[in-house]
Amino acid sequence: MRRRKIKKQIIRHDIRSEVTSVIAHQLKTPLVGIKSSLEVIVSGQLGEVLPTQKEYLRIALDEVERMVALVRDLLDAARIDQKELELKRQPTDLVKLVKEAIDNNMTFAKATNTEVSFAFDGKIPLVSADTAKIQQAINNIVDNAIRYEQRRGKVVIRLKMAGQKIIFSCQDNGIGIPNTEAKKIFSKFYRGRKAIELVPTGSGLGLYIARAIIEQSGGKVWFTSKPGQGSTFYFFLPVQLKNRNNR
Amino acid sequence: MEKQPKILVIEDDKFLNKLYSDQLRREGFEVSMAISGDEGLSKVLNENPDLVILDIVLPHKNGFDILSEMKLHAHTKNIPVLIVTNLGQDADIKTGLELGAVGYLVKTDFSITKLGEEVRKYLVMKQKKFSHNEAAD
Repeated sequence: MRRRKIKKQIIRHDIRSEVTSVIAHQLKTPLVGIKSSLEVIVSGQLGEVLPTQKEYLRIALDEVERMVALVRDLLDAARIDQKELELKRQPTDLVKLVKEAIDNNMTFAKATNTEVSFAFDGKIPLVSADTAKIQQAINNIVDNAIRYEQRRGKVVIRLKMAGQKIIFSCQDNGIGIPNTEAKKIFSKFYRGRKAIELVPTGSGLGLYIARAIIEQSGGKVWFTSKPGQGSTFYFFLPVQLKNRNNR
Repeated sequence: MEKQPKILVIEDDKFLNKLYSDQLRREGFEVSMAISGDEGLSKVLNENPDLVILDIVLPHKNGFDILSEMKLHAHTKNIPVLIVTNLGQDADIKTGLELGAVGYLVKTDFSITKLGEEVRKYLVMKQKKFSHNEAAD
């Protein structure tokens, strides 16, 4: 009886992932059409664009890019469910990826009055991972740290070596995560009550995808948190053994 | 006046086909368009384009089939093919490159304003390869 129920749940889960995947693929083409049209207009190739018009066109372009990212996340989530997430491992420099993640989020951080700093101890060896996917995971964690700030935000990112592992941490002084939500925070589509109050929009996919990427890369992700005081998200990745000294 | 390179755009979404073709025309290329796999292959064989922009998911004949057939004909096997698709999985990229595509762009990840630059890059590479082969002969 129980086995049949589980089988039914698996089938329903598979169908849902497949539907998500089909919808996401179908959304891509019209999004590319809108994105490309806006890019051509903004570039001025079709004639002069007034600064005020450009400002609105850029907003539209940013929103389309947000939708493209959401579609990518939905597809990644469906691939994770179907155990089809492909990782292309290569020597990856975490220091560089963290710096890029900070750069990518700098405008957002300034807009939300958040100070972001980065510290690392000595030389950080390369890890063997899918550079683009780890970048996505780091971005998701840093984005959350900035997004769920209260008043004046402070985000501190650290990298350190411990044995054969590189440990990443991202500490914020944001809203924190209550104990009752701790177990669900990495679940697909899950969003905490406070998080929804603060930022109503959000897919609840960022941490789900980040965990899958880190774990599939041989690492582990976890967090500590005090409600009202902030959270620290950690992950570790194993050091790449062959080319340890090539930085 | 110097003859402009001719680019064949094989893309089944008519809006995207128009966007890519208009962009290339604005950048001075001659452009031919096809909206199905059959039409695309027929134009490759008959029009002798300098470069082909090829989507993968196409009606009648998919992009990988077109690429494979192009490699069977002496007059089309050296035409550079730039795949422009929404299939961004590594396995798809690997298949495309193994079948002989010179480049692979994922539609959501690149800006259309860079399309002309990409095309010119591969045309220059083709020219260099051609000159190198001639010198070797």
